[in-house]
Amino acid sequence: MKLRIATPVVLATAVALTLSACGGGGGSGPSQPAGNSKSFEFWSFTGIDQKVSVEDYQKKNPGVQIKLTEVGSSVETAQALTTALAGGKVPDLVLIQGDDLPKFVQQSQNFHDLRPLGADKIKGDYLDWVMSQSTAKGGEIIGIPTDVGGMAVAYRTDLFKEAGLPTDREEVGKLWPTWDAFIETGKKYTAATGKAFVDNAATSVFYQAVNQGPQKYYDPSGNVVYSTSPQVKTAFDLAIKAAQAGITAKQSSFSEGWSAGMAKGQFAVIAAPSWMLGGIRRNAPDTEGKWDVATIPGGAGNWGGSYLAIPKGAANPKAAWDYITKTQSPQAQLEHFAKSGSLPTTPSVYKDPKLTGLKDPFFSDAPTGTIYTNSLLGLKPFFIGPDSSTIGQEFQNAITNVEQGKGDAAKAWDAAVANIKTAIGK
Amino acid sequence: MNKSNRVRWWTYLLLGLAVFACLFPLYWMFVVATTDTATATKLPPEIVPGGNFFHLAGLVFTTVPFVRSILNSLIVAGTIGIGHAVLCSLAGFAFAKLRFRGRNVLFLSVVLTMTVPTQLAVIPQYMIISSLGWVDTLQAIILPGLGLGSAFGIFWMRQHLGATISDELLQAARIDGATTWQIFWRIAFPLVRPAAFVIGLLGFVTAWNDFLWPFIVLKSPEMYTAQIAIKALQNSFHIDLGLAMSGSFLATLPLLVLFVFVGRRMVAGIMDGAFKG
Amino acid sequence: MTVTLETRRTVPEVETRVRRSISERLAPYAYIAPFFLLFAVFGLVPLLFTFYVALFDWNPIGEHVFIGFDNFTRLLGDARFWNAAWNTISIWLLSTVPQLLLALCVAHLLNHARLRLAVFLRMSMLVPYITSVAATAIVFAQMFDRDYGLLNWLLGLFGVEPINFLQSVWGSHLMIAVMVTWRWFGYTTLLYLASLQAIPRSLYEAAAVDGAGSWKQFRHIALPSLRPVIVFTVVTSTIGGLQIFTEPLLVSRAAPLTCGPVRQCQTLTLFLYEQGFGQFQFGYGAAIGVALFVLIVAIATLNYVLSTRIRKERG
Repeated sequence: MKLRIATPVVLATAVALTLSACGGGGGSGPSQPAGNSKSFEFWSFTGIDQKVSVEDYQKKNPGVQIKLTEVGSSVETAQALTTALAGGKVPDLVLIQGDDLPKFVQQSQNFHDLRPLGADKIKGDYLDWVMSQSTAKGGEIIGIPTDVGGMAVAYRTDLFKEAGLPTDREEVGKLWPTWDAFIETGKKYTAATGKAFVDNAATSVFYQAVNQGPQKYYDPSGNVVYSTSPQVKTAFDLAIKAAQAGITAKQSSFSEGWSAGMAKGQFAVIAAPSWMLGGIRRNAPDTEGKWDVATIPGGAGNWGGSYLAIPKGAANPKAAWDYITKTQSPQAQLEHFAKSGSLPTTPSVYKDPKLTGLKDPFFSDAPTGTIYTNSLLGLKPFFIGPDSSTIGQEFQNAITNVEQGKGDAAKAWDAAVANIKTAIGK
Repeated sequence: MNKSNRVRWWTYLLLGLAVFACLFPLYWMFVVATTDTATATKLPPEIVPGGNFFHLAGLVFTTVPFVRSILNSLIVAGTIGIGHAVLCSLAGFAFAKLRFRGRNVLFLSVVLTMTVPTQLAVIPQYMIISSLGWVDTLQAIILPGLGLGSAFGIFWMRQHLGATISDELLQAARIDGATTWQIFWRIAFPLVRPAAFVIGLLGFVTAWNDFLWPFIVLKSPEMYTAQIAIKALQNSFHIDLGLAMSGSFLATLPLLVLFVFVGRRMVAGIMDGAFKG
Repeated sequence: MTVTLETRRTVPEVETRVRRSISERLAPYAYIAPFFLLFAVFGLVPLLFTFYVALFDWNPIGEHVFIGFDNFTRLLGDARFWNAAWNTISIWLLSTVPQLLLALCVAHLLNHARLRLAVFLRMSMLVPYITSVAATAIVFAQMFDRDYGLLNWLLGLFGVEPINFLQSVWGSHLMIAVMVTWRWFGYTTLLYLASLQAIPRSLYEAAAVDGAGSWKQFRHIALPSLRPVIVFTVVTSTIGGLQIFTEPLLVSRAAPLTCGPVRQCQTLTLFLYEQGFGQFQFGYGAAIGVALFVLIVAIATLNYVLSTRIRKERG
């Protein structure tokens, strides 16, 4: 008799205990103890060195505990944020990449309006076109920009030498005032060495060139114009031309082969927004000193850049906001640039000797600060919409398909436009 | 067939090839995990393990909270494994040996649930988990895992209990005044414990290796299971294959060790299934 | 096997019956309740809810607008859907048919009374099964790589030009099918082997006396008794195979949600995930789920009809 009742009870207790143990672990981990105003949770993505800022801040503000989670790639972080917002368990602070931002700006009710917290007072510190991207239709500011992705080209001086090309960054920059000249240089390199010149056409040509015009996939009032925008078509045709010229290594960016190819010198050139330099360093640590950085064809452009936002359900928005103001002030962004290479969004420091004087030994002492800020000063900002990243992805896919020898170049544009229409419905 | 004949040499050759195909990918994982990324991209390939194992393993432990993720996997897979063994035995016992209204219909519905592709309902599953406030907790994996994977186990245990335990034995116990629970716990369960053990093992292995659902509901590194930790070893802007393979190997190692001890029983259990004869 | 009950008591028979009628009658239901409860909450309700969500334009962080069957009409005209459906069926066939045939052969080889190392051989077959998909994907992606993969290196020794497996439709399907087959064929082999071993040896001996050769013995004795287990493995690999997700997600790092630039190996489950969790269109994702459900039910029914028809013809 005793046994009959006892055993299920024991079992049930055991299960309950296990579950509460798990629950306890979950509770003390990610969610913060209520009432502790000195701690908050921060989601970032990998490869962007937010750890450096977090450690700095904690050093200067002892007693503040920041739980930094590098969720995954920027896209995965945005996906995780969406599911978190839908599920109701959100971090206090989150880093959102520029292309993913518009979707969240459209649903600004999910985030704290940063104006009452003090964003109105500091918004003048940042590039106005960068600020405008994180401002919702009703004027709510939901994000403070942490960096912009000024553009340049990273190249291997040793491989250029072998091919009989100049190696000095000034001269290299002069090799390609335009993208057509870039492709011509590539042909020379490939003819001389038999090797690929650039990693791929989709990212290193299209994605750079398309980011250089005043109007990309949307017009300034937010209507999609990807199929008629001359800038987009030009960039697309250039990429197809590069793909067909046989100068690309056909390695999609961020793939295994791309990483390996970079380390092994399979290609000599990569389009490198400022945040890419860290990636090159980690992918190819043995190539220190063999790289240099030159200006990008066309001179100006922006790829990437991120924002810090505070979700509505944040347990500790005040602490998060304090972190934003202290780590994203012009001076702090300058310091962060010196440490990690992320380009400041605050133009007031662009002439600061700390920025202009910075040299990167990995890249043959290239003055990266000057090179990247110069690419921004000539920039014509364009409107980024909620479907910008989908549109960009479809165009890149079409180019990659041609590059891999699978797609018909003549039909690639129409195919891409049709795919985009299917994907976004307009 | 040809049971009385000698085993031909080509039988061993073909079986040897099959074993090679089964084991080589794991061996290759180990080779890359003991050298570095350069090995994974070197041609001709190096096929002897190097001496870099501890360096890379150390990196795995510092890049992600790996110990914690192994612990999480143990909690999740252990609970699901034990849960399956117990729940499937209980339900299998009821279906095999107890008479109650609606038994056949209910059993049929258990079998039918096996054909329901629940995996594609991830979107509402996520909504339910989040409305329970369970996102980023281990019970978000354990409870669905207990419910969704066990239909096969119930079916299996029913076959076993039906074949192993005679009605006379139960009748005798009843006459002796044993309750249903006592009959299950004292008579039936001990007799089918090996089968229940295998069901538990299969549940454990499946839970240990599950990817999609933990990937969706687990967000913070402290909650990662081993599989999600492997994924997290790959940075967005660069891939260290040596590190990735080292993590994969370390996440597989606990199961390999377990398998050395229980593999024989697992093989016997799978073969002792419901399809004999 | 002696079973003694400690709780041997001298309770009047009547009282026992009374007790049974109350708690004992409920016992069977209590034993099966946990399964039904858990399955209802985490399996059935979500599935039914999928049908509901599919009728909405459902932004997980925004509005939910009822749009009737618009998601389905959109789906039918969506080339990406048909592409994913085709990929799913192709990968399923490529990973199921060879797997079952291979398992049948290996089981046949293993089914030898005097085989040495039988335990080792059987255990080896099960090692892939305990290896996770996440780990498998990393290893196989390396082996199938265009420039640095083992396989292309091996083919190169025979003068074959490097094959870009991942970027081509057939190559990527083949690669995923190999991963699936690798993981599951050992498990299937053991199931078949068990059935083969259950066949009484006397049957073979009788056939041998009648002059039946090895192939005839296999066809007329082994195959018929394997039929139930073959039907079982076909059904389970259909349900599993049509929901393949992790392999395609993990092999293509550059474009994980589409499994490559032209969605060459994007399966329906991956398409569902892309739309639901990548594009945040829960409604459209749910509609894909419903379509997949219909596909699975249709193929499972076809399976069933075919296998019963074969049974009738033979029976």
